[in-house]
Parts: sequence; structure tokens; C-alpha cells
Amino acid sequence: MKNKLHGILTLLLAFVVQITFAQEKTVTGTITDETGLPLPGVNVIEEGTSNGAQSDFDGNYSISVEPGDLLVFSYVGFETQSIVVGSSDVYNVTMAVSAAALEEVVITGYVAQRKSDITGSLVEVDAGKLSEYAAASVDQALQGNVAGLTVSQSSGTPGSVANIRIRGLSSITAGNEPLYVIDGVPVNNGNVSASTATSSISALAAIDQSTIESITVLKDASATAQYGARGANGVILINTKSGKYGKTVYNFSSQVGFQNDATKGPTPLTSAQRLELASEAYYNDGYFDSEQAAEDYILGNIGLFTQWDEDGRPESNWSEAVANDDALYQQHSLSASGGGEDNRFFASIGYLQQEATVIGSDFERISGSLNFSKDFSPSLKFSSNNSGAYTLQNAFLEQSAYFASPRTAKYFMNSLRYPYNEDGSPAEIGGALPNPLIGARDDFNENRFTRIISGNSLDWDIGSGFKAGTKFNVDLQLYNYRTYGNRNYGYGVPVSGEASQYDRTNAFYVLQNYLEYDFEINQDHAFNLKAVQEYQASRSYFLGGDGNNFADDGLFYLASAGTPLSVTSSFSDWYMGAYLGLLQYSAFDSKYVLNLSYRKEGNSRFQEENRWGDFYSIGAAWNLHKENFLSSSDAIDYLKLRGSYGVTGNANIGLNNYQSLFTYGVDYNGEGAQVVDTFGNEELSWEINKTLDVGVEFGLFQDALTGNVAYFRRNSEDLLLDVPLSQTTGFNTQTRNIGALVNEGLEVQLNANIVNTKDVSFSIGGNFTTVENEVTKLPLDPNGVERTITTTITRIETGHPVREFYMPTWAGVNPETGMEEFYVNGVDGETTTNFNDAEAVFQGSNAIPTLTAGMNLNFSFKGFFVNANAYYAGGHKIYEGWHLYLHQTNGYPILAYNGYQSLMDRWQEPGDIARHGKFTSAGEPWQRHSKYLYDADFLRLRTVTVGYDLPSSAMEQIGMTSVRVFLRGNNLATWVKDDNLLYDPEQDLGGETGLETPPTKAFLVGLNLTF
Amino acid sequence: MKNYKYKVLIMAFVVAISSCTTDDLEPTLAQSKSVEQSVTKVDNLYSILKGIHSLMSGSGYYGQDVIITNEVRSDNTFSTGNSGRFTTESQFLYNNNSDLIWNNAYEVIANTNIIITADLENLEGDTDYGRHIQGQALTIRALAHFDLLREYGQQHTGSGNLGVPVITEYKGEDLFPSRNTIDEVKAAVYNDLETAFSMMDSQYDNTNVIVSKYVAKALEARVAVYFGDWPRAVTASEEVINSGLFSIIPADSYVSSWAADGGPNVMFELAATQTDNAGINGLAYMYQINEDGSGYGDVVATPEVLDIYEDSDVRLNIMDTEGEFIRNVGKYPDNVNFTSNIPLFRYEEVILNYAEALFETGGDALIQLNKIPANRGASLYSEATKENILLERRRELIFEGFRFDDMLRTGMNMEAIGTNGVVVEVIDYPSYVFAWPIPLSEMNANSNMVQNDGY
Repeated sequence: MKNKLHGILTLLLAFVVQITFAQEKTVTGTITDETGLPLPGVNVIEEGTSNGAQSDFDGNYSISVEPGDLLVFSYVGFETQSIVVGSSDVYNVTMAVSAAALEEVVITGYVAQRKSDITGSLVEVDAGKLSEYAAASVDQALQGNVAGLTVSQSSGTPGSVANIRIRGLSSITAGNEPLYVIDGVPVNNGNVSASTATSSISALAAIDQSTIESITVLKDASATAQYGARGANGVILINTKSGKYGKTVYNFSSQVGFQNDATKGPTPLTSAQRLELASEAYYNDGYFDSEQAAEDYILGNIGLFTQWDEDGRPESNWSEAVANDDALYQQHSLSASGGGEDNRFFASIGYLQQEATVIGSDFERISGSLNFSKDFSPSLKFSSNNSGAYTLQNAFLEQSAYFASPRTAKYFMNSLRYPYNEDGSPAEIGGALPNPLIGARDDFNENRFTRIISGNSLDWDIGSGFKAGTKFNVDLQLYNYRTYGNRNYGYGVPVSGEASQYDRTNAFYVLQNYLEYDFEINQDHAFNLKAVQEYQASRSYFLGGDGNNFADDGLFYLASAGTPLSVTSSFSDWYMGAYLGLLQYSAFDSKYVLNLSYRKEGNSRFQEENRWGDFYSIGAAWNLHKENFLSSSDAIDYLKLRGSYGVTGNANIGLNNYQSLFTYGVDYNGEGAQVVDTFGNEELSWEINKTLDVGVEFGLFQDALTGNVAYFRRNSEDLLLDVPLSQTTGFNTQTRNIGALVNEGLEVQLNANIVNTKDVSFSIGGNFTTVENEVTKLPLDPNGVERTITTTITRIETGHPVREFYMPTWAGVNPETGMEEFYVNGVDGETTTNFNDAEAVFQGSNAIPTLTAGMNLNFSFKGFFVNANAYYAGGHKIYEGWHLYLHQTNGYPILAYNGYQSLMDRWQEPGDIARHGKFTSAGEPWQRHSKYLYDADFLRLRTVTVGYDLPSSAMEQIGMTSVRVFLRGNNLATWVKDDNLLYDPEQDLGGETGLETPPTKAFLVGLNLTF
Repeated sequence: MKNYKYKVLIMAFVVAISSCTTDDLEPTLAQSKSVEQSVTKVDNLYSILKGIHSLMSGSGYYGQDVIITNEVRSDNTFSTGNSGRFTTESQFLYNNNSDLIWNNAYEVIANTNIIITADLENLEGDTDYGRHIQGQALTIRALAHFDLLREYGQQHTGSGNLGVPVITEYKGEDLFPSRNTIDEVKAAVYNDLETAFSMMDSQYDNTNVIVSKYVAKALEARVAVYFGDWPRAVTASEEVINSGLFSIIPADSYVSSWAADGGPNVMFELAATQTDNAGINGLAYMYQINEDGSGYGDVVATPEVLDIYEDSDVRLNIMDTEGEFIRNVGKYPDNVNFTSNIPLFRYEEVILNYAEALFETGGDALIQLNKIPANRGASLYSEATKENILLERRRELIFEGFRFDDMLRTGMNMEAIGTNGVVVEVIDYPSYVFAWPIPLSEMNANSNMVQNDGY
């Protein structure tokens, strides 16, 4: 590819040089708009050639032409004009604002389209909305602003990844993440962390959101099929800011504030409660005649209780000890943008720092960007978008109940152990759980991530409607992970300190070439044809090692490790190639619109014969408001019917799955070895999605009421499914193209401009989406029996949503015996105390919301304004993790670890109606059932911003163009349907609560200056 | 000049030449190789054999599960649930949600089958050595089938005669096998072991961390004792003893031998090194708690264990009796770097198998039986009874995962012990819980599979 690329650039550059002819003369003139103001930067082109010029700051131009040539004057947002050169040497031109330009233009993928020409379902979110949610990565801001899109934070730890689902789940095994496209280039924005134990870190968090102009979310096939195989889960287009002709504009924006956990979470038992429950448990178990006797024994014989009693029964309060109260958030950015006659630029620097609400974890980002474009000639434009960022995340062990994690300590730490010594220093406590205050101080888990994106393109207006261009993008991602466990306290002690360091380099290259042809027939029929060729290469290299035994403190590089333990390195790659054809046809000024796309795409994940797939879409729109019978209507300003159907694909599976493979990742007794690790499937090919989308868009009463309604149905077929194998084969699964599922739903988006005067404006808006998800086909075994996929809490089976919760049903606590009981048949009637006798049944829903809604309110009076946004999700369930140790009436919460205060609602004597059964001092085995499955419906006030824009009179005095000050709150209030759900309802899509940092509630103060 | 057409053509040409083909989409195989194409040398078979040993040492198999789950169900130990581990097994409360060793053992078998079915004629290298490796693979395949049979077979459930599927091909014709009978599995195991013994040549055996020729006989004796095939147990044991390659470790080095690799009594052990071990998911972490509090330490000895030893018995020193619980700290002792090897075949077990087989066939069992206490600082037995032999097996093989099978094959009842050490329930022999449930994932994937009764 390298050689080919070189060839293209050379060829393109060759066209820059133009030959000129004799008999020419120089024509000059001034270009103004309708108000008489000079227009700089207008393109003046001799038609059919690349001979051209641009107007300067005063609107003056000069160009050499022959008499009889046609001069074409064009400028974005204005009607194009043409003049035949005659005998005069001076031609002054007045440009009229284009009617079409008044219509919003939206980037819809490889093309930009006017709103009325769009046949698909998409939503654009502007910079203003994006800035309202304070988070390291911009995807968080999409929650509630895009109908049909759900964002699930995997953790509230700053910089960690969020899972985005657009219109449900399209796949069981293959990825469900949407494709991210930055400035036209598909990029990888997933988790880059090398550890599955510590916090994740998102590649998207390395993008400074203040450089983003807008985000467009593509949802239906007519919009996404142009991205072919990767469009099945929707596409998120990120468009960065660019400069404009004119004087340089500077912008400074800043917001600073503090955050705490958005919801309190379960409250841990106090030591006094612990004593009460432990005494009761010993009494219940028959060890003592009375609870008092048990308490006396405990206080006299169990060391920690005795000590605590002697100390005057202090409460240790680990929740407070591990919390980073009022965690800092600050974000600042400074940008400059502007442009000369033949160039435009946008430059920015940014800084973000966000502490986690738990001790020892934070995130920092320093970023810079330069978007620059230069017109080599009026018909040949070069543009270069460059951004770079360095991020540092102090991560911690949060992906499971790691004993060293402060979040684990909050709930698991025995409350009889004290966090601090008398002198206030962290206590070096014994036992299985080390004091995380020391770990947070002396150990580290650091993620460093550097990302540099450079996209360079040449666009050539060949003339007569032909355009061509090429784009080359490099996305270089450098990742470094370092851990250290100190020599003096904690897990590093037995080995005198332990450290590991890993490096990963990801390089993504994208090359795109296009040829485009615009033409009209009889002025009424406008066509745009575009052919695109795209190639993407992704390479990843990984290197690292670990060691222990350090001679002294403060050493944590491996060179100082006395015992090097392991080294590892690996390489992986994948490639994608595609050819794309697009046709846009609009008749009678977009009264009728037809969009067609076809894409042939190849992917290295499949065997040679199955490598290429065909994807296409067809979309049509009818703009009724342009029909004569509606054009005179006072009520209807805008009314469009649209529909689309298309086929997209999904190849988002592991690499090299089609081959039957040995891995050499095993070793034995210090020697290399090999075992088989991939079953292989030569027939492996694309997962197919067939999407139907129909909708109506409307604007009524001078756009006082706007909105749209859409119905969608997405059939996913030939699912790339990890089909369960009989494990007697030596494998658990084989990836195959089998199975089908359906997502169906309705989206409604409404916005009402209730008041819109010079001084006052008030609008409210909202959207809601329903999604029904159902598995319709699964593989059968040779006896025709369906091969379901079951875990301890979920099952995949036809006729049910993917991973519907599936477990025995809890029947409550028997008031007479205090025993927890389960329904034998899983539904009703006979109960049993023997968990293994209770049948597991479907519990009605999975962890994906079936109804989501966003609501927003915008009010302004003179310079004051209020914006608010709320989000609702419902119809799904969530399972409580770790309940065996923290939320059951056994020995774990009272003798080994710690539990929640909700356990106080327990059975004590016959007749008690209690949520929890009789306490015992013994441990219990894991039993997962519906008692710990909760309705996850919640409503959350995500953003509220109250601000003031200084009046222009005031600004002139201080030399500013605009000044805005504001106060902002995020996640200020949350309503949860199920009172028994103690954890934050916004959880990872896995559907099980964990010990990650919860989402945060933030208060911020901000300032925006333009000058 | 005004003709744009040639420019369009040139651009079209540019697009065409920069296009990519199927070849440009060929992925790199940097860490893996094709199963079908990469086995070309005898050395490749050895590499797979080492890989199999690595799988066996994983925590899903001998690295932890198969040893701990059996110990914790026997009268030797129970789970305190300190970290919540192995309480279900200790209390016989398991259900079909757990995979246990099922997938691990069959993964081992799949890899052995690649070696066993390789055509040596087509491989570069010493064909005799290739035959030896195939014999080693057969031995391991027999071990894995036997392990599956003793864990999942219905021999102690009181009804049924189902064993487990016998798999002899890698990616063979039948990917949805049904269960073979107990007798069929046993016959396949014996058959593999006899073939293995005949294929192996001791001259290639140079380490005890790789399975070797006489391990096939030691395993045959173990299987024969399990099923009461006493004459076979006698002959197989004698083959091992007569090889003269092994000896009983003497009393003064008994405890220390566990901290060291190898030894004259170790016929075969799985290697654990500082860089390759089961770590916190291994045996030491499950048996011990370090002074600094690290260690899961769920599995502790029942108090009665102290009563089976005389005070002079060196084997008492395997245990730490100082703390709240009696702990195994001497077998698999390294709880810091986790480098303790895991012996699977010790010569002492062969002697005990021999003694029991002689006892059952009317031979002179006492001499063989007393070889063990004579080397442990314990008094000798005056009589070789079944009870004495089982007692000596318990003393010698404690914490190594043998006791549960010894109790089952002699029809003893089991005790389900709670986390506080109190007996929750006595489970009379036979019972369905003496066979693991076939994992639900297997049942869901393969409708030819028949679940054990009771699950």
C-alpha cells in the first residue's frame, strides 16, 4: 500500500501545475453581499478548468481569462453566479444568499446533505449540548440527547469507557459498539487498558470535547450502509471545529467544580450493628442460650470485638475513609480560529483534570489540535486536521472485589478494624484486606495514553461537476501501563515489592479516494454520484514484563527488580478494504429524494473465499411541504415522509477465528509449549443486519413545534455466534454464522418553542424510544434440540430477549421459620428451602432498557438562561453482585467482611415479616435468585445549567465579543423505582452491580470568553 | 484545456491502482499457527506434550480443583468459606452450573489426540522418540478419562451404569457424543495404558515433570485398585517396583521433600516455576494463610485428622496446629512464589496399592504395608487389614485428593460439613451427589448427553 499511496500523492500534486494560454487578459472586480459588505474568500473559477482565484479581504479579485470564458463565482451559503467575460475588464458581483443554504446542512457520512435531502434517521448534537455534561469523554453527553441511544458507563472512574447501544442489541457474540468516525475517518475508540482488573481507559477520552463542533449519530441503514460492515450498530460521526475567513477569533472556556457519588449506595453496617447481629446469629445457631450470653462471649473471646469494646466502641466509618469528598473537576481550553484568503485554521490547547470520588484515582489530559486548510489553487484544496493528547489515569483494582481496592474496603472491610492510628496516620492493619489508604498512597496502577490523529486530504474541483479527492489518516495510540506494590505493607511484602510495566502501540491507517460527479437534468433533477475506495490497516504491538524483589523503596522500574518474572510481547493486525458507490437524486428542489448506496467490503477476519461482503441501502423521502397543496399552508412549515431499507454487516469478532490454531501462549517448566485454542470455521463470514426505517418529520406553526416519529425494525441474521460446543471436543465454543434476532421499536422526538421573542425564549423538548429485542433463531444440535446458552443468572433462548435474566424465583422469608424460600416450579405455589430443588425460570427482561426517554428545557430572558436535561430508562432489570458476602444473613457480613444496614430488616422470631431470613454465623454457598434481581427503572436529572451572557454594550468596553458565566450541575437528582436497589441504577450492560466507582454528581462554575 | 474528461479518467485510474485486493487483507499469524499445517516434526509433538502438562497444572484441573474438591468432600478437610470458595463442595450443595474439571479434562484429551493420531511416517525426526511421545500422550489421555470417570461416572450413585464419553479423535466425526458405560471407559483406559506402556522406551525418560513409561503402570494399578481389579493391580504395581527406578522417601527428608522438586519417590509431578504457576488460584493459597493475612485459606483439616497419627509420625509436621484451624502447610508449601511442584504419582502410593491388592488376592500384604510407617517414624502394623491399609493411605496421602475415592470405593458414608466445622448432614452411601452433575453448558450444547440422576 505504501507505494500505491506515494503514487497517488505524486499524481495529485502534478495537477497543481497548470499551463496557461496566450490571448489572455486580466479581469478584476469587487464581490459584495446584498447589503454591500465585501465578501472575502469567494471562489472565482473559469468554468471547466482549474484556473481560478479568490477574493481578498476587501472582496477584490483578479483573474486571467480569455473573452468568452464563463466565470463562476461561488461561496458557501450563497447562490452561485456566472458571468460571460466580454470586453470589459471589471466585473463587480453581488452575491445573493442561497435559499438552500438557509437549510441546515448535516454531515451524513461520506457526504453532507441538506436536511430535506436526508432519507435516513439521524440526530445531530451540537457543541452546546455536548458541553453540558462534565466528563472526560464526550460520549457521556449523548445520553438523553439522542433518541434510541443508551450510554452505560462501565464505571464512574474518570477516563473509563462507556458502552453505547443504538436501537438495542444487534448481536449476541460480535460487538454491539457503534462505529466512530472522526472527520470522515473510521477510528477505534474502545478500551485500551491492558488490564482486566483495573479501571478501563477509553481512547475517546483522549479527544478534547471543546474541539468538537458537532456529533451526528446515524441510526438507520440508509445512513449507515455506506459504512458497510461496521455500520450495523450505528455510526457516531464526530466533526471537529474548523476556521473561517476573517479576523482571528479567540475563545477561552473554563469550568471548575467538584463531584461526589450521584447516589449514596448501600450503607455499611456499623460495629454496634455487627455485634447485635453476630450475637443473634450465634444464638440462632444454638451455641448460646440467649443473645446476651452470645454477646458476652463475643466481647470476651473474639479479639477484634474485645479490643473495640475496650476502646470505647468507636465507629470506624470506612465509607468516609475511602471517599474522596468533593473531588475536583477542572477543564480549560483556549482556541484561536480564523483564515486568510486561501487558508483557514483552528488551533486549540486544552487541559482537563478529574479526580475520582474514591481515594487514589484521577485522570488528567493535556491536548492540542490544529486544523488547517490551504487552497493551493481555487480548485485544489488541502486540509490537515491534527490533534494530540496525553492522558494519565491513576486507575485502581475495581473490576472485581479485589481486596486491595478502596471501593471493596468500603463494603468488605471488617468495621472493627480502624482506618487510622491515633496519630492520624493510616493503620497497618492485618487480615486478608489491606488498608487501602496505604495502597492509595504507596502503590500505583497507572494508565498513560497518548493519541495522535493526523488526517490529511486533497480535494480537487475538476470542473463541470466533477470532484475528486484523497485522504490519508493516521491514528497513533501509545499506551503504557505501570503497576507497583510496595515493599512495606500489603501484597508486595512477601516478595519485597512487585512491579509490572506494559507498552502497547496501536497504529491505524486509513486511505480514502473518491470521485464525485454532480449534474442536473432540466434543473429539476439533481444527481450526485460518488465513488469511494477505502483501505484500513490496524496494527497493534504489545510489550511488557514484571518483576519483584526491590532493594529499596521508591524503585519501581524493572531494571531495579531483583527477580525479573516474565516478559511478553505480541503482535496482531487486521485489514479492511472497501469500494463504495453512492447516488443521491433529488427532484424538483428536493420534493422527491432518492438515495442509493452500495458497498463491497473485505475483512481479514474471514477466510479468503468469504472475505468480501455486499452491503447496500435504498432510501427515499417526500417533502410534502414543497408540494403546492401544502406550500401555502400556514400551519405546516415542514413535512417529510421518509423510508429506508438496507443491509449492513458486523465483523466485530476476535482475530483469526476462522482458522484452527495452536497457541504458543503456554509454557511448561520454563520451556515453550503449544496447545490448540481455536476450533476454527472456514465458512465464517459476515453477520448481516437488515434494517427497515420509516418516519415522518414535521415543523408546525413557524417551527414552534417540530419533531419526528420513526419506526424501525432490524433483523440480524447469520449471527456471528460463539456456538456452544460439546466440551468433549476440548472447546467450549465455535464461532459460526448462525442464529437470528430482531430489534423493533418506535422513536419519537418533539420540540416546542413556546416563546421566542427578542428578549425571552422558552422551549421544551423530549424524545422517547421503545426497543423490543427478541432472539428468533439459535443453532440446533443433530437431534434438533436448540443449543441455548445459560449462565447462573441469564439464558439465551429463542422467543426471549438476549440474555434475559433466568434463575430460581425467591418466594420470601417464611414468617414461622425465618428460612428463605423459593418456588419449586419457579413461578408460584409450592415453596422449598432447598435451592437446588427450585426451578430456574425466565424473569421477564434483560439488562437493556426497553424504554428510554430524554427531556430538555431551555429558557432565556435577556442575557439569563437556564438549560436542563433529564434521562429516563426503564423496562430492564439489574442483578446485585456480591450479595453472598454483603447482603445475606450468614456469617460473612458479620464475622468476615461487612454488610449493608438493610440487613437489619431480618427475621428474628416466629411471626416476623422480614425481607431477610434468620441470621446464622455459618457461611453459605453461592445461590443466585430473584431476590437480588431488581427493576432498574430510573429517572435522572442529568444536567442543569444556569448562566448569563453579558450584554454587548458591556463587552465593547472590555474588548470582548461575548462573555458567558454559568453554574452547572450534573446528576443532581435521581429517582429509582425499586427501593431495594441500593446501588446506582446506571450500570454496565453486563447487568450486575459491581464495586466500580459509581456515576458522580457534579457542581461546576464556568466561564466562556470570545475575543 | 477545457476538456476535463482526461482528468476524470486519470482520477479513475488513480482510484483503481490504489485499490486493494483480497491479498491486502491477509492477516498475520504472529502468536499462533495452523493446526493442520504446523505439525511437521517429532519435536512439534513434544511441544504439544508440554502444553498438555501446562493445561493439567491449571487451577481448573490438578492446579487446584480436582485435588481440593475431593479433599473437601472427604473426612480430611472442610471449607471455612474464608474467601467463599469450595463451600458448595464441602456441603455437597453443588448444581449443574459449575463446570468443574469437565472442560479441562476434555481439553487435555483433545490435545493428546492430536499427538496420538499424528502419522509418524510423515514427520521429521526420530520415529522411536515419536512413538514414545505418543505413549506419553496415551498415558495422559487415560488419566484424563479416568479422572472424568471417577468424578462424573455413576459407579457410586446407586443407579445407572453411565460413565463419560470416550474421545479418541481430535475434531472427529461425532462432535455430539453420548456417554459410554462405566465398563467401556474402564476398558478404554486399560487399553490406552497397555498400548502406552508398549510404545514408550525408558531411555527417553529424563525428567519427572513429564509423564514417563512407568507412570502408565502406576496409573493402571491406581485404576485397578479403584475398580477392585486386584490381580491387575498386583501385576501393574510389580512392574513399577521391579523397574527399580524409585524408592520411598525416608522419614528425615519426608517434610523437606515437599519443598523441593523431584525426589526418588516422585514418579511424576507437575512443574510450577516462579514464572509459571497457578498463583493465588493454586493449592497453597487455598490451604494456607500467611502471617500478613494473604491466602484464601478456605480449606482446613477436620480436628479428627490429628487423631490418626502417632506423635512420633513425621507426617504430623505437614500440619500447622497452632492457629484457629489445623492447616496443611507442608504439602505444596510455597505460598509466596507458588513454586511447589504438584506430585501426581508418588512411589508410596504404588506400594500402598500393591499392599491392598496383595491383601485382596491373599498375598503377603503386611511387608509392603509396613514399608510406609517404617519410613515415617510410626509404629509398624501387626496385621494387614483393609482398615489398616485405608488408614495408612489416609495418613500418607492426606491433602493430595485420594481420600474421597478411597471412602467411596469402600462404601463409606460422607459428612457435609458447614463453614463452622459442624456436620450439617450425613450422606449415606450410595448417593447421587457422589457424581458431579454434567455441566449445564454441556447439556445445553449436546442433547445426546444424559444428565446424572438428581440434578
